[in-house]
Amino acid sequence: MTQLATAPPSGGRHTKRTKPHRRFDPLPFLLLLPTILVLLAIQVYPMFYTLVLSVQEREPSGWQFVGLKNFEILLDSRQLGESAGHTLIFLIGYATLTLTLGFIIALLLNRKSSLSGVYITLLFIPWILADIIAGVVFRLLVLPDYGLFSGVLQNPALFPPRGLSILTADAPRPWIGEFPFPPSPAMVYLILAATWRALPFITLLLLAALQTISNELIESSRIDGANRWQIARHIIIPLILPTMVVALFSLTLGGINGVGMVFSLTGGGPGTSTHVLSYLLYSIGWVSLDFGRAAALALILAAINLTLIAGTLRITRVQQRSI
Amino acid sequence: MQVATESQAPADLRALLTTRGQREGLLANLALLVITLFALLPIATTVLISFKREEDVTRKPPVVFPCDTPTSKFDLTACRWSIEGYERVVLPMPSPGSLLGFEIKGRMLNTYLPNTILYAISTALIVMVLAGMSGYAFSRYRFPGRDAMMIAILAITGVPLLTNLLALYQMGASIRHLAEGLYNDRVYIIIVYTGFFLPLSVWIAKGFFDAIPRELEEAALIDGCGPLGTLTRIVMPLVVPGLTAIFLLSFVSVWNEFIAGYLLITKNDLKPAMFGMYDFLGQNIINAQAVAAACIVIALPMIVVFLFARQSFFRAMVEGAIKG
Amino acid sequence: MKPRFALIALLAIIVLLLGACAQPTPQVIEKVVTQVVTQEKVVEKVVEKPVEKVVEKTVVVQAATPVPAKKIVSWFQYDQNNVDPKADERVGNEYLRKTIPIFNKEFEGKYVWENQFTPWDRLAAKLVAAVQAKAEVPDLIEAGGTEVNNFYKNGAVQDLTEWAKAQKWYAEMDPSALKICTTPDGKIVCIPMANRPSQVFVWKDLYPNGFPKTTDDWLKEGERLKQAGKYAMTFFGSTAFNGDGANRAVFQAIVSFGGGYDDGNGKLKLNTPENVAAVAWLREMVQRGYVTEISFAGGFQEEEAFKDASAGAIPTGLFGYRYINPLVAPSGKKYEKKNEQDMLDAIAAGDVILQPFPAAPGKKHGCGTGVAALFIPTGAKNPEGAKEFINWTLSPAHNPAYVKGPGGGLPVLKSIAALPDFQTPFYQQAYQVASASECKVAWPTVVNVTGAKMAVMNAVYKLIKTDPKADIATELQKAEDEFNKTVK
Repeated sequence: MTQLATAPPSGGRHTKRTKPHRRFDPLPFLLLLPTILVLLAIQVYPMFYTLVLSVQEREPSGWQFVGLKNFEILLDSRQLGESAGHTLIFLIGYATLTLTLGFIIALLLNRKSSLSGVYITLLFIPWILADIIAGVVFRLLVLPDYGLFSGVLQNPALFPPRGLSILTADAPRPWIGEFPFPPSPAMVYLILAATWRALPFITLLLLAALQTISNELIESSRIDGANRWQIARHIIIPLILPTMVVALFSLTLGGINGVGMVFSLTGGGPGTSTHVLSYLLYSIGWVSLDFGRAAALALILAAINLTLIAGTLRITRVQQRSI
Repeated sequence: MQVATESQAPADLRALLTTRGQREGLLANLALLVITLFALLPIATTVLISFKREEDVTRKPPVVFPCDTPTSKFDLTACRWSIEGYERVVLPMPSPGSLLGFEIKGRMLNTYLPNTILYAISTALIVMVLAGMSGYAFSRYRFPGRDAMMIAILAITGVPLLTNLLALYQMGASIRHLAEGLYNDRVYIIIVYTGFFLPLSVWIAKGFFDAIPRELEEAALIDGCGPLGTLTRIVMPLVVPGLTAIFLLSFVSVWNEFIAGYLLITKNDLKPAMFGMYDFLGQNIINAQAVAAACIVIALPMIVVFLFARQSFFRAMVEGAIKG
Repeated sequence: MKPRFALIALLAIIVLLLGACAQPTPQVIEKVVTQVVTQEKVVEKVVEKPVEKVVEKTVVVQAATPVPAKKIVSWFQYDQNNVDPKADERVGNEYLRKTIPIFNKEFEGKYVWENQFTPWDRLAAKLVAAVQAKAEVPDLIEAGGTEVNNFYKNGAVQDLTEWAKAQKWYAEMDPSALKICTTPDGKIVCIPMANRPSQVFVWKDLYPNGFPKTTDDWLKEGERLKQAGKYAMTFFGSTAFNGDGANRAVFQAIVSFGGGYDDGNGKLKLNTPENVAAVAWLREMVQRGYVTEISFAGGFQEEEAFKDASAGAIPTGLFGYRYINPLVAPSGKKYEKKNEQDMLDAIAAGDVILQPFPAAPGKKHGCGTGVAALFIPTGAKNPEGAKEFINWTLSPAHNPAYVKGPGGGLPVLKSIAALPDFQTPFYQQAYQVASASECKVAWPTVVNVTGAKMAVMNAVYKLIKTDPKADIATELQKAEDEFNKTVK
């Protein structure tokens, strides 16, 4: 990224050759000014404020500097480990499921039947719903005793011995130590709900990538005797791999930071079985009002996010394309 | 960046379809049909629940259709559909003086949704203009710090919203404290939303400007159009679809945003609709018909907007995701 | 020079847009706030900064009347504008809708009462956050007695000791209620408005041998009810609403075993023999299947099992009566007014009885104290108005309505308690149960009450529900240590 910042400012074919008399043009800066001001106030300042908060603690008299105590308490707590475990399981399940299904659906849509447009439109509706609404919708379906799916799930004949009530069912015993695997039914359901909402976007992304692959290429390899698996393996997948990576990162970022669906679907429960990192941040900061510790956790989350973004940049080589 | 909804299959591909290919097409269609039905199932059931009566929503075990009678399991003539849930959201109260003969007392309709509309439209407009300006600057000019700035804006999209809210809450309170009288909750939340949804929009806008061939502008300039003329007559018409897409994307983002409104807005009269949903969530959730009706009332406008402008959405999303 | 034009045009557009968006908003707000309020501001502002403000407010001056009235802003968990007849908080909503105009009429020209609805599970956190950030605070907030030390230690509320002692009603105030509003160092920081200790609502017919007096007997009764296809109890067992269950039935059980949460020095003390015994008993109840599964669903769904009499008892706060309806008695008799009257009717008819929580062998019936109380936050703009409001609400003419509405409990003033309104079976039984139980404050010294609630409830949930083999003492100790590390 360093090579970016130092990239020659005058490169490219669009230097202001039309106006040789001006060497420094303030116009782009003026155009950017409002954006920069808004971003400084709403995004950059809060970052630094969070940094400052993370080494402080609230006393009734005011803020006190406590060094790294907030981080120590946080890293020492079982809550963090448990929530990180839940987040990891959520992300793996959510990303795998969404990418696989998205790829399959995109392949199906890429056949370009006359109905594709209709399908895309209908398939896309879940994306337009707010995460909090989607959470409520899925909660209503499995409301203990009354949800439409509860009638089937809570039938002891199908799920012995007592039937399955997703919102109250216990997590199975962890296989390894305290790592929350296998996940609780509520976590599985949360993954399904999140997948349902993210799937349209990922499908669209992959479809757009698939459509950039020329038919000639596929046809010629088919004539050369390649079977369908070979075409998929050696032509399609390598070509859409960068998009897959973009999709993966976009899913991961959304998955780490999203709190709305946990909020309205499970509320972190039953017990703590769907407590993810973002929900932990919410509850430390806004429920316990421990802003210092919440800020510390927020910084950890931001670091993970920025690492992911840097990774995306590297892989998609957006630098080269944009300069 | 073509998207499949422009669904003309290339003729050569059509010609290659064998009987086997047609059979596969049928299978693929069938698979898509099943997938689509699955995708719409949760929405369909929510609509179904919203039209039930309380007595049918709270039955154990649940019934899918409220159409059973003591004698038969399903009797279409006996269906007990009701708009009870919607009545609880709308709360029409008879009021002889008013235009329709009743007054809407539901907070969702008379307060929260209007708030959401105000926030969403204002934010989307500002984001569109600012992103347009910045996108133009990034796309058409080379200046020192340009690339660093673009990367910085991209990096900002990675900072979790929840992180910023701690500071933004404090900032709102401080501004109010310092400039009592000038501070306005609505303006503040609109600026906050703008800051949230601006970074990605800048990148999307840049992509749209990049896609406009500069030769067009240069030709216009040579033909005697001034820069302003070039901008308004040549560039603007070409970029309008892109800006529309940014507007719509921001509009939907603000509409669907929950946590910032929930944590920053303190007065009930200023709450947006998503926060208004909390009126139903913080309480006994058994009245599923009312909760479902509220969901539909909030989500329906977005679905309608989407159905009418889906091409714009697709364009902005693909642009934003690939570049951003 | 030409790019300038483009720039100016763009900037002009932005200014116009910003203007277009920003301008209408103040108008909207002014509409919402009553006229009188703006007038008052004008007068103040004119006095302070005559030059600056006159221009800004000239429009309003025309509407000014000679007498300015001061706003009294309150935060209640009730919403006067929510007219939904089936809203969860309909009783409180209705009370505000009726009472605000009465108050405003009586204090016309002096005060205007403006209530800002705040969801119940956000009230306390919202106040503390607002005080810390110096954001807007109300003049009055109604909250439970559990928040007393939290508010006090965070400097969120005003000391009312001197003022309270000088008031007429002080002499006849229920001392136990007043004690809940008193901090460990003896300051009165809130005024109790209604007393609502936790009790057990019981379907009499499901306990034909009488409701058990001891926890052991309750286990036996549980087995009997299980054989009959019923449940001994349903309760707030979920971790929902930030662990609020820790204030409810779980705490009743803990106190009934002689335990508690608070070490008296601002920290948690969970790993005690009493608490371990209480959790072990709860675990027995749950694991043997005497407790409804829906107890753990959250969203107050546990109440459903009592409404349809599938569970024989629901331990909860006294104010629970107003939410748990409609009812179907074990006999099939229906109470279907769908408001608080259903429970009162069922109690009057003898179908439902109020009982103390069964006690562990050798212990007393336990109960969690609860008062509905009014606090005056630090930084309130109109504390005088707030005090007059409290006096008005405690006056004989207006107190009964409050106690029956948002209060949802027993009157705190002797003269009010003596009124015929409060001699019905519900109040008689509630008094009896309260005097038969030993009521404890859940968090006398813990400051971060919400964090503590979450810590307790997560641990209890794990022990009684998901991990019935885990060692109770170890888990309680872990929860205790982890929370105490965050205590300053």
